[in-house]
Amino acid sequence: MPAFLDDFLFSYQSLIYSLGINGLLALSMYVVLAIGQLSLGQAAFMGLGAYTSALLTLKVGAPFPIVLLAAMAVPALAALIIGAPTLRLSGVYLALATIGLGEVLRIAFVNSELTGGALGLSGIPEKAGYTIIFGSLALALIAFVLVSRSRIGRAMEAMREDEVAAGMLGVDLPRYRISALVVSAMLAGLAGAFNAHVSSFISPNDYGFDAAVTILSFALLGGIGSPFGPVVGVVILTLLPEVLRPLHDFRLVFNGLIIVIAVLFMPHGLLPWRIGRTGARA
Amino acid sequence: MLKKLTALAALPLAASIWSAAALAQSKEPVTIGAIEILTGPNNKYGIAIKNGFDLALDSVNKNGGVLGGRPLAIAYEDSAGNKDQAINAARQLIGRSKVPLILGPTLSNEMFAAGPVANERKIPIVGTSTTANGITAIGPYVFRTSLPEADVVPVTLKTAQQKLGIKKVAVMYGNDDAFTKSGYDVMKGALEKLGIETLTTETFGSKDTDFSAQLTKIKSLNPDAIVVSALVEAGSGILLGKKALGFPEKVRVIGGNGLNAPKVMEIAGDAANGTLVGTPWFVGKSDPASEKFVDAYKAKYNMEPDQFAAQAYDTLFIVAKAINDAGAAEPEKIKDALGKVKYTGVMGPFSFTANRDPAETSGVVVIEMHDGKFRQFN
Repeated sequence: MPAFLDDFLFSYQSLIYSLGINGLLALSMYVVLAIGQLSLGQAAFMGLGAYTSALLTLKVGAPFPIVLLAAMAVPALAALIIGAPTLRLSGVYLALATIGLGEVLRIAFVNSELTGGALGLSGIPEKAGYTIIFGSLALALIAFVLVSRSRIGRAMEAMREDEVAAGMLGVDLPRYRISALVVSAMLAGLAGAFNAHVSSFISPNDYGFDAAVTILSFALLGGIGSPFGPVVGVVILTLLPEVLRPLHDFRLVFNGLIIVIAVLFMPHGLLPWRIGRTGARA
Repeated sequence: MLKKLTALAALPLAASIWSAAALAQSKEPVTIGAIEILTGPNNKYGIAIKNGFDLALDSVNKNGGVLGGRPLAIAYEDSAGNKDQAINAARQLIGRSKVPLILGPTLSNEMFAAGPVANERKIPIVGTSTTANGITAIGPYVFRTSLPEADVVPVTLKTAQQKLGIKKVAVMYGNDDAFTKSGYDVMKGALEKLGIETLTTETFGSKDTDFSAQLTKIKSLNPDAIVVSALVEAGSGILLGKKALGFPEKVRVIGGNGLNAPKVMEIAGDAANGTLVGTPWFVGKSDPASEKFVDAYKAKYNMEPDQFAAQAYDTLFIVAKAINDAGAAEPEKIKDALGKVKYTGVMGPFSFTANRDPAETSGVVVIEMHDGKFRQFN
């Protein structure tokens, strides 16, 4: 590899990793928003995945593929357990309940000796790389595109537009809701495992309310018409703070300003278009 | 004719200016990197540190720079207190700016994230304000000039034991913050070692504002003192709560590094009186080097320096000395030179241990809060 490319990749490595990891998180938000649910538990699922994977790597020394599977399975299980009671809620009540879940988990991490309490876990080896992170993101994107062109995708869109009508037309609402939550938890858990294995250090406060809101903003800025919208949101929100670095003290001001302008003038997100369906006629 | 003469006279002058400029040009600056919190809620720490660096930098460059007359320069990167941004900043300083050494980052959490990056690329990284346990265990390229809590807190507790005859205490700590938790771990060990009895250990969250439940329980146990590991806001709340509950005046609060801030006295007012903290340095320290630093700092920034500025000030001289001793701006040589450097600055004599922590703890002073000012206690 030429020296300049090597230096470039070194300088921006964690930024490029964040693009992929945040992309997975944005998709995990997209799954629930796509059926019209406002669930803010993604940060909590990400934390579960991160801690599960870090503990398996540090304490058990498990091979990385198994670590990744566990990092998806544990949040999925948690989603199944908490899904039953919380999915009876909707709208802002579901958002509140899932924020609560995040807080409960954060406090559990803080008070557990196993997870290192407030000090978190450090010295996690760097095991994730470009291939696995962006491979996962690409796979997830392809899967979502295929799903949104299928019967399931149409049912999801119907639920988002009008749940009652969708239910009357025979869409199995509870099943779709719990499936969306489980898929969302798995993607967030996977992102958490990657995050832990590229930044070498995790602590409970990384997965709190701030993270939940950031993940939501990826999806809202990009638009939820198609799975590509949230990923575009990620690219912008992740790169902006670094691109604006030369502005020094003013960078946070400009960062905020650009987001406000984007939301004001493009309320449906930057990519509002939907995926065309095979056989669909307007 | 006259015109011609003046033009002729000006010629050598111009030439001499030109050659001086050329000389300065040939002396390429040695640029080191610094990652500090320059924006966001915790920027008061980062800015104090930057001020300390800049003041020392002026002095280093006025006295001929480093490596035989090359000016020293610092490339600052902002971390905004966020560990991901600290990693990005470290990677850019190493990969693009090619700095041979990094100062910072400000918080221990940021060091746990950025330290491994520098260590992997074999670039020395020197924390000036990272006091948590395990910082230098990251790797052989991670140094710190700040005294860890493990060095300061035992001195504070020992002084309190000797001067006040403290035998039994209550402990309170914030359990959701890395800094206050690691402070507590140190306190626990030090109390055991000194043979001081711990009556109870109470926890709180760093954003809590009401501590009456914990303090009521503590009051009923009648301790000689309350040992507290908290940040400014929670610590001030505890002091106010303690006063409101009418604790006897002789029951002092003994704090960790988190309470070592004038802000505590601003918030808690006279409820802060008698609070003891240990510090590597304080503004009223009677020492000629220290007084000179305080005067220079006040003249440049129009405010009083704190311990973070003092630690940063000393660190820059230590680093400049290491670069000179290394004889080249090369990371590996600087790393070796840092390990051997001996320097006496505003905080007292300084050298690194084999584990790259500060070797000397003789500079620690125990100070007492009194009517809005710190004063020396021991």
